[in-house]
Amino acid sequence: MCPFKRGAGVRPDERDPITVHKVDSPFPRTAKGVSSTVSSPQGWVPVEHRFLGLDRRTFPPALIALAVALLLLYGLPALNSAIQWNNEIRAGDVLDLGDGATAVPPVGWQLESGTLVGGAGASPTSLQVVLASSGATVQLRGSSFDGTADAYLDQVRRSEGDSAPGVDGERRTLTTSAGVVGVAQSTTGPSGDGLDVAFKVGVGSAVEAAPALLVRVRTTPGQFEQHQDEVAALLRSITPGGVR
Amino acid sequence: MSDLAKRAQLAAIEQSGWGQPFRLLQPHNASFWVYAVGVGAGAVSIVRYFGSGGAFYAPAIVGGVLLFGLYLVPWLLLLRHHNRFTSQPAGLLATAFFWGGIAATFWIALPANGALLEIWAKVGGTSFAANWAAGLTAPINEEWGKALGLVLLIGLAPRLVRSAYDGFIIGAFIGLGFTVFEDVLYVYNGAAQGFGVDQLGTTVQMFVVRGASGIVSHALFSAIFCAGLMWVLGRTPGERNVVGGVLAMLTAMAFHFAWDDMGGLSGGGPLITVLPFAIGVVELVVLFFVLRQAASRERAWTRDLLGPEVETGVIDPPLLDAASGLRKQRKAYRKSLHSRRKARRLLEGTGDLAHEIAKAGGADTPRVAHARSELLRLRDLP
Repeated sequence: MCPFKRGAGVRPDERDPITVHKVDSPFPRTAKGVSSTVSSPQGWVPVEHRFLGLDRRTFPPALIALAVALLLLYGLPALNSAIQWNNEIRAGDVLDLGDGATAVPPVGWQLESGTLVGGAGASPTSLQVVLASSGATVQLRGSSFDGTADAYLDQVRRSEGDSAPGVDGERRTLTTSAGVVGVAQSTTGPSGDGLDVAFKVGVGSAVEAAPALLVRVRTTPGQFEQHQDEVAALLRSITPGGVR
Repeated sequence: MSDLAKRAQLAAIEQSGWGQPFRLLQPHNASFWVYAVGVGAGAVSIVRYFGSGGAFYAPAIVGGVLLFGLYLVPWLLLLRHHNRFTSQPAGLLATAFFWGGIAATFWIALPANGALLEIWAKVGGTSFAANWAAGLTAPINEEWGKALGLVLLIGLAPRLVRSAYDGFIIGAFIGLGFTVFEDVLYVYNGAAQGFGVDQLGTTVQMFVVRGASGIVSHALFSAIFCAGLMWVLGRTPGERNVVGGVLAMLTAMAFHFAWDDMGGLSGGGPLITVLPFAIGVVELVVLFFVLRQAASRERAWTRDLLGPEVETGVIDPPLLDAASGLRKQRKAYRKSLHSRRKARRLLEGTGDLAHEIAKAGGADTPRVAHARSELLRLRDLP
């Protein structure tokens, strides 16, 4: 009996706890002459309803739930994989880093997360920008932080532990065209090359209260040099709010 | 006792499934295995998600679990109050809660939302996605993901999950599980966004924001959605209402959309400060409308179940009206007795008697006799 049918769902084995029910049988009596009215213990599935030890009458809701779950779990990711990114950065596009702060992304890269100036707007303390090109990604993440850019980079490293194998380069100071000072540290490992640059997006006395920004570049092995100029231009273009 | 009243009582017990025990462990039942796979895979996903940064973000995770654990208490008291009439067993409601919290959140919503959010960004651009993707994603993945718990419970307990009111209560518990587990996820994500700076401060901030919005969020959406699904399925005679059911489900999804895309709906303007309250009020009005509609079948069953007791004089008609009625009837009963305490005791005693009658399948057992004598004793108390 299908549990979805009106008034459905009473399986003999569900009657509590032992149910006596009439079994329709072509043989009204057993060999010993006992009537075919028998007790059915809890959980007993009649032979004609069994399939691999399961009660076939329980299949409809289970299969419907499983099918919908699998559609959501695997159908959507499959559809996502079939659709290509088509959100290319064009000349003149400017990234919105929130509160008036901006950066100029490299032309031709795909903007996979984040908004451009004039778009939906961005919050500097919950910023999530992802730019991608062949073999390289640049992520920009904003958050609140009281302290210097150097201390912020320490905090980032501490939060991620030492799980990633690789060799860290020396920390260097990096200053953008608008005067924003950042701290950069490169890494090299078997999975590729990387560069983390921490900023406090402000200049002068505004630095203390300014939101923190982490620019994280990751490339496949041997690809960093190919994107170095574009990444450098992006970093130099970071401008705090109220400067332009 | 008239034969008619007894027949109506037995029919109410049969149709409502009240008094039936619930067993989760049913190895012969395919729904049990799908439930086990969903919750098992969800649990693995939880370990993976929190495992890598678990030690560093322990203050946020522990704080989130404690705060949202406390947040559960008033919710459980509220839902216990609404789980009256032909009440659902605690085990069934716990099963619903953990489907919502573990399977719907971590098995289904986490990967499915990630994929669909990205699809919207690819199709409409990142600015469109920032405004609308959340509201075009969560109502599909999350409402259906949660409702699958109700479908599996129909498979696990077909006699217990019968009316739209059952769907309403079970949906609320699935949604509550989803809310609490998702909120802990948000606490973790909030701490990770700031790379672990001021984790307790972030946790408290997230608790205030998510706790307040949770009042008119997942528990409400799922209660409406699952009541609608039960109307569509029509599992009790005369309760099938496909149009009404689909409307209820779409309404729940529309509420979810409005709640998640408030930024897009307000156009980034000052409307954003008013919208949460406006949407919340509309949601609550619709919630109580659906609750009232869904309760009508349960109220009729309660009346039929206690009908023979009215005939024998154990229960008087005003008490029957209050026990099977809504807030208005209970208030009128309290007023007629001039004693809130006595009314509360009599209503609880009536609930006990109804439960024992249902559990005994309408037979006169020693427990039924005791519940009856207790009610008579309570009636004589001041």
